[in-house]
Amino acid sequence: MNSSMIAGSRPDRTLSLNMTLLSHHELDGFGGVGEGVAMQIAPDGRRIMWLAHESAPKNFSAVDVSDPRKPRMIVQTDLPHAQMRSNSLEVVGNILAVAYQTTKVGLKPAGFELFDISIPEQPRSIVHFDASGPYSRGAHCLWFVDGETIHMACGAADFQPRNPKDDQIYRIVDVRNLSRPREIGRWWYPGTREGDEVEPPKRMPQFDSGYRMHNANVYPERPDRAYIGYIDGGAIILDISDKSQPKLVSNWRYAPPFTGFTHTVMPLFGPELLIVSDECTKDDGADWPKLTWVVDNRDETNPVPISTLPLPPVEVFGKRGGRYGSHNLHENPPVEAAQRSDHIVLATFFNGGVRAYDVSNPYQPSEVAYFVPGAPRMSPKGSIQINDVYWDDRGIVYCVDRFSGGLYTLEMNL
Amino acid sequence: MSSDHSQPIRPTGRDPFAGRIPISVITGFLGSGKTTLLKRLLRHPGMANAAVIVNEFGEEAIDHELLETSSERMALLDNGCLCCTVRSDLQESLRDLLTKRLHGEVIQFDRVFVETTGLADPAPVVQTLASDALLADKFRLDCVVTLVDAVNGLGQLDTLNEPIKQVAIADRLLISKTDLASSAALLELRAQLTGINPQARILEVVHGELDPADLIDIGLNSRLATAESIARWIGPLAADAPATGSSIGSQTTHTRDIVSFCIGFDRPLTWAAFETCMSVLTSLRGADLLRVKGLLEVEGEPGPVVVQGVQHIFHPPARLPAWSGTERRSRLVFITRGVQREVVEDLFRAVGALGVPHSR
Repeated sequence: MNSSMIAGSRPDRTLSLNMTLLSHHELDGFGGVGEGVAMQIAPDGRRIMWLAHESAPKNFSAVDVSDPRKPRMIVQTDLPHAQMRSNSLEVVGNILAVAYQTTKVGLKPAGFELFDISIPEQPRSIVHFDASGPYSRGAHCLWFVDGETIHMACGAADFQPRNPKDDQIYRIVDVRNLSRPREIGRWWYPGTREGDEVEPPKRMPQFDSGYRMHNANVYPERPDRAYIGYIDGGAIILDISDKSQPKLVSNWRYAPPFTGFTHTVMPLFGPELLIVSDECTKDDGADWPKLTWVVDNRDETNPVPISTLPLPPVEVFGKRGGRYGSHNLHENPPVEAAQRSDHIVLATFFNGGVRAYDVSNPYQPSEVAYFVPGAPRMSPKGSIQINDVYWDDRGIVYCVDRFSGGLYTLEMNL
Repeated sequence: MSSDHSQPIRPTGRDPFAGRIPISVITGFLGSGKTTLLKRLLRHPGMANAAVIVNEFGEEAIDHELLETSSERMALLDNGCLCCTVRSDLQESLRDLLTKRLHGEVIQFDRVFVETTGLADPAPVVQTLASDALLADKFRLDCVVTLVDAVNGLGQLDTLNEPIKQVAIADRLLISKTDLASSAALLELRAQLTGINPQARILEVVHGELDPADLIDIGLNSRLATAESIARWIGPLAADAPATGSSIGSQTTHTRDIVSFCIGFDRPLTWAAFETCMSVLTSLRGADLLRVKGLLEVEGEPGPVVVQGVQHIFHPPARLPAWSGTERRSRLVFITRGVQREVVEDLFRAVGALGVPHSR
């Protein structure tokens, strides 16, 4: 077959199944978005999509998506300096929480900042939670869905890791008093802190990405559980019924033989599954396969993988430019604007775009929709790098590019 | 009956129609002008993003128009239409095409046209789409279109069995070469076709001139289907069924041993009752159930349940969320070979799904 017929290998081609592009917004030239995508239903009823930028100079952008066919940017903010990034954010009601991570330890601001976004055009800072310190780069990712507690991957001034790559631990912060956030609990992988009695965990032989936390997800169905992707430490379930003393319930390790970097652990409570995503961090398929796992969690002390979400072949997408493999999920956040599903999983795969899977038969997940935009303008990788996804309660799907493409708004025909 | 049909209705969160690539099956009598129709169709600007599976590349069908690429079995035409020849069987061809699409190896077609051979029985094609789990997950049958030759059609109906079946199964009938037939012959042919299949709309085509829009969106394409699209799908027999107070439906037509009728139900039925009746029917007379489709009012279901089958294979039942704009009453349409309405009614009555028959 003539190679020009292979649409998938050509990064300029848009590929789609059961997803239709409604609109595309390049975010006024700053189209690189991290893994913070959250929707606010503003006091006046407008739907505002808040987006954390992947890197400096921009902090976050807000886009009015009330009419998903006509997205309109309403605010875009700058970081105080370029040695930091926001990357992650969450919205509850009219409160916006933004993570701050610095490029090196010891810099500020590191931690998170809360904003009052009652008037979306004018985000008003409420407080800054300082997590800076001699061993800390601050917060990489946070989870905030109940208006009371922030669960985050963050360094701390008093946490000295044995290995500098293990700096971001699980920290729980009470924000019920918005102006006085206070830490109420923490957990780290045993052996990673200087002075721990247990031996340090064995480093990954091929890619040492660190024993540090990425995502912690907590849902009202099980407020006593935190579901955690701990990068090279695998998937972790913690008992947080006493937040001051999280206890390990289980730790599913699958690397080696796989190459590590567990990203997100999302429970599906109805079918008693976990959806566990890896993060691909290498270009050109160098760390293939980076998968999204379907895990039987009927016995939470013994999670058992039963399938992975099927992906197109690495031979077609691996050299399409940039990364190709798993990353973020639509995390079913228990907030008013979000869609929640026990059957359909939406996941992002960098140059593999955004993909929807039906996991009704968890032993045989089925891909039911996808959208792979053609390479955006000014893409440094020459291809799309879809980074994160959000599915709203109207059924509209939003996905973002990591570098330049900005926001893609999609209708899914499912 | 397929195993899918005997399973309880299971919600999956997916729209059983919208999330699947529609397939139009084009069948026709020998010499009815199918190649001419396909030649025209392939060149039509409305065919961008369509894939067409043909039996072979016609010598003059697509020849030098293969601008972009071509391979032994696939050619991308300059209007954006992907044309492929059928492999050893259609199932394999569709799987191959689907895999290539999912892998991003071919255009992201959003519709498929399948040509059957002139002598082909279209039923196995339809059954393939219902019974192959991989294909059924990604494709849905939109319609069966049957091309009938205005000049030779009557003779073929008189002497051959397959054309009758092709007509009986069709959702749409196209009469070709109407410019070569007398108006009297055309009238007679139309009457015969309507007699065999009163459900299908009849269109006339000359020199293969046809808008692809006439070959698509005949089936249900969303669970949020409008009353109009439901009415179009289920056909005029169901529309003619008595409105209330009757357990039975419209008139029976009977042409060349083909019987078509609609049963109406005056109360909701249980899924078990429906399943039991259809199991008996399909196991004993499956080969003679040329086409069955219906909208069922099932106990405990807020909206209608869509059922459709060809012979002994049924598609998985599909739930619609509400009876929006559609009369809330079960209607089941049959086109059969020799299976009389009374037989089917008696069966449903025996399991208590049907009341006392309305005298006609």
